[in-house]
Amino acid sequence: MELSQRRSNADYERGIEMAKATEQIQYETDDPNRIQDVGWTFKEVWRRTRGFVVTSVNLIIFFILWEIVTTYGNINSLFLPKASAMFQELWVGMTTRAPEGAVFSGSILDHFLHSFTNLMTGLAIAMAIGIPGGLLMGGNKYVESILSPYVWALASLPRIALVPLFILFLGFTTTMQVTIIVISAVFPIVINAWAGVKTTEKSLLAAAKVFGANRVQLYYKVVLPYTLPFIISGIQQGIGRGLIGVVIAELFGGSNGLGYLIQRSADTFNTAMTFAVLLLLIVMSLSLINFTRWLEAKVAPWRNVNHL
Amino acid sequence: MPISNENIIVADNLTISYDLHRERKKLIALQDINLEIKKGEFVVLVGPSGCGKTSFINAVSGLIPKSGGSVKVRGEEVTAPGPDRAMVFQDYALLPWRTVESNIRLPYELQNLGISEEEKKQRVKNCLELVDLAGFEKSFPYELSGGMKQRVGIARALATNPDILLADEPFAAIDAMTREAMQAEMERIVMETGQTCVFITHSIDEAILLGDRVVVISYRPGKIKEIVNIDFPRPRMNNSEVKISKTYAELRDHIWNLVKDEAMQTTRGE
Repeated sequence: MELSQRRSNADYERGIEMAKATEQIQYETDDPNRIQDVGWTFKEVWRRTRGFVVTSVNLIIFFILWEIVTTYGNINSLFLPKASAMFQELWVGMTTRAPEGAVFSGSILDHFLHSFTNLMTGLAIAMAIGIPGGLLMGGNKYVESILSPYVWALASLPRIALVPLFILFLGFTTTMQVTIIVISAVFPIVINAWAGVKTTEKSLLAAAKVFGANRVQLYYKVVLPYTLPFIISGIQQGIGRGLIGVVIAELFGGSNGLGYLIQRSADTFNTAMTFAVLLLLIVMSLSLINFTRWLEAKVAPWRNVNHL
Repeated sequence: MPISNENIIVADNLTISYDLHRERKKLIALQDINLEIKKGEFVVLVGPSGCGKTSFINAVSGLIPKSGGSVKVRGEEVTAPGPDRAMVFQDYALLPWRTVESNIRLPYELQNLGISEEEKKQRVKNCLELVDLAGFEKSFPYELSGGMKQRVGIARALATNPDILLADEPFAAIDAMTREAMQAEMERIVMETGQTCVFITHSIDEAILLGDRVVVISYRPGKIKEIVNIDFPRPRMNNSEVKISKTYAELRDHIWNLVKDEAMQTTRGE
């Protein structure tokens, strides 16, 4: 029998009829009340806010215990100041500025602004180098094999070992501090972007090719969006490393910044100030990292990463 | 749509091999495949894992180069992918950062088909209705079930209104119940659009229910072992007589006997 005879027009028409009939049935079984409104109950409010409430209560208890122990225990405030003293130092330090022409500023805000500006500048430079660098390494075999030994060598070197060298090159300057931040933050960004390109799912590339993508479109429509969450998590690691870079650079060589302030306040037995700066560093670091997490969830909701 | 007598895909002594870099050897995946597929025909490829079924589909789509022979689509040698051939993937291959609608529009962004914005909108709407996903335009793939994801994959393949639909084990990752529903859907869609379909599966039932012809491919190297004609009238999916008929059982047994030895071989790794 010929193929054409086997599948006649009558068959075709019967098929359409049947297909329509099955569709009808499917629509009838679709219950419009399937999605129902759930009102605001106490349980629902608690479920959504419990994380925040528990953390807040936890921290309040922690600081109260600290205060009790330092007030009634026999503890030298040189080693452990009262929690209230630390908060007071932080408040005063963040609300006052050094007078015009002061040689040394005791204001935390001044030092914070210096460190924060350095960190941001360093991160911006690290991103400007790291993102295109990583993408190129992932995309081009030659660039990869030329650059990868240097990237791995520098990435595996403890960055602190380079500080004396940079001080020698650049002196005790802001440029030196920013350079150390860049060197600290750039490698996680490079390596993550590189890995992102390399791990792009083959089937997504195949799909794009089948539907007509040329090389440029392949990068623009598939590889880049796929790599974006990798880049963000690289930046997240970069922030952590960058902060280490900030403190190290200021501890070793500088006369301003939070790292210097820690050193200075410890040297002058102002332990409350030291603790205040440490607390500020924690808050700053957590805020930045949470911002990148929020950003990651925003741009890549499909990754659905369960954070620690 | 009745099947015409015009050949749309012609494979002539098609051979495909892969380099095994580590061993400095070549692995021949498909050897001397001669296959003529007619316009409007539903051809199913069956064979053990690793026999080169996917290589055949990839060669027709233009994704991989051939090492011998030729594949012609409408008389022209295949060198690169084209809008006349679309593909449905086993793992859906949907871009996770795009909504359902945006995924279906992808082919329009990648190539200039010379159709107006109005028509694109209309076509996306039609495709979504055809696969029963109207109302899910703004959903993201990760919010959908496996069956729904694959329906998006099918809708995307239909968006360019291709002549040839290539499906690489599209329902392999879908549960058994949804799978039957999807097979019915697939039959209906192909009947409505009149497309030529090359379909890979490991399920003999799926092959018999969907195919006008079932091509059985042998293992290492992949060669055509036999081509089985399936003569059931369509639609077969909602026709309970097909599955309980004697012919069905005989066909099933026949194809199983063809692939049995091969399948055993792959499990022994010979």
